[in-house]
Amino acid sequence: MTPNEKELMKRYIYQVTRRLSKAQRDEVRMELEELISDMFADKGSMEKALTQLGDPAEFAKQYQNDRQYLIGPEYFETYLWFVRVVLICTAVPILAVSLVHAFGHVSVFTSQNAAPVIIRAIVDGLTTGITDALISCVSAFGAVTLIFAIMERQKVKIEMKKAEKWSVGKLAEHKKTAESRWTPSFLEPVPDKKAIISRGDSIVGIVFIVIFCVLLISAPQFFAVIFTENETVKTVPVFNLEQWGYILPVFVLSLLIGLADEILRLVVGCYCKLVMISNIVCGAIQIVLSVVVLKVLPIWNQNFVSELQLALEDETSQTTKFLSLWNADMVSNGLLTFIVLITLFEIGVTIYKTLRYGVSIKNH
Amino acid sequence: MGEEKDLLSSLLLELRRGTQTISVLSQMKEPKYGYALVQSLEEKGVAIDPNTLYPLLRRLQNQGLLESKWETSGAKPRKYYQRTEYGTKIYEQLKTYWENLSDGIGRLLREEET
Repeated sequence: MTPNEKELMKRYIYQVTRRLSKAQRDEVRMELEELISDMFADKGSMEKALTQLGDPAEFAKQYQNDRQYLIGPEYFETYLWFVRVVLICTAVPILAVSLVHAFGHVSVFTSQNAAPVIIRAIVDGLTTGITDALISCVSAFGAVTLIFAIMERQKVKIEMKKAEKWSVGKLAEHKKTAESRWTPSFLEPVPDKKAIISRGDSIVGIVFIVIFCVLLISAPQFFAVIFTENETVKTVPVFNLEQWGYILPVFVLSLLIGLADEILRLVVGCYCKLVMISNIVCGAIQIVLSVVVLKVLPIWNQNFVSELQLALEDETSQTTKFLSLWNADMVSNGLLTFIVLITLFEIGVTIYKTLRYGVSIKNH
Repeated sequence: MGEEKDLLSSLLLELRRGTQTISVLSQMKEPKYGYALVQSLEEKGVAIDPNTLYPLLRRLQNQGLLESKWETSGAKPRKYYQRTEYGTKIYEQLKTYWENLSDGIGRLLREEET
């Protein structure tokens, strides 16, 4: 072997081993030295030997039998779906909240400059909104990808189908059969069309809850009566901002429970016992929390009427009339009735659809 | 035309890949070093490229079907591979399966000729 041929061999071996994991390198280098010198002795030319071995990159690929992907086929579909939902639930609320914030910063507006000021606010809101949404979407995408990559590495088995199959009756069944062996009895009845929960509805629900949550946390002062006076914007908050520290957690907890219920619906995708139970439990908790928020906690700005009267110095008969009607108790009762009715209605619909069309144990 | 050739070569690759393990295992009763195996397979008409064979030997070793030993007494160090007991057990089963499969495929292919 001439020094030149030796150099070629060294180069070839380097090109293969640099693509391998550290643990493999030394051993593979020795193997290749053996192989190439054998081939060289056989063929009589380094050129021929290396040509037969082919592209070192291809050769290295044969050694890399471990995974060459971040998220494998097993998780890919779930991952794609998850990314889509997370991106929507990130981008839409951020855009909405940015717009609201932009309007909150509008300081001066008169009847003459109302249009440009409003347009300016929309443009500002959109600009910051799109920028923030883009940045947040990139982070959200990264976070979801990271989580799935970790799951892929750890081979965590999360199967969305599992959630669909789960029902109380199944628990007993599962114990009897060897857990993982598939038999035809695992086949679920095809869900009735009416039992399918619209993903769009769930996503809209989630987006609204997130928007409301973010606004309550970041800008409770925007829930206010806003009016202009002497070219300045005045706001009289509806909520009791002094006690907000106590009220907010309960409020947000209630929203988060609603959020959990929506996410479960989204993941399960059709009416079944699990969705029904979750809906009943979450609904009940939400009603209780609503009572706490509206009747126990001092949620309303107690000085709302006086502040408003103070602000509206040039009160007209109409505003006085409105103010005389403002009664925190009445508003609380009204809202509470509304919330209870809506929640009960939703639970009712869920129970009806589950019993009528849902995937239930009686089919087994 | 090119597409047909690509398809054919990818199908052939797939077909060969399935038979490589059993081919290699069959030759490993006695210790052998890599290039000797390349040559003996080639002589017997079942050629496997060295750049496929070497990684395959490593994989079979990781799976416990082969064991290896560096022989340093000769002119240059050589790595000898040999079937393990477990490898022999698996090989026997593969052999039985292959014979049945080969008979079956043979029948299928002859069917068209008659």
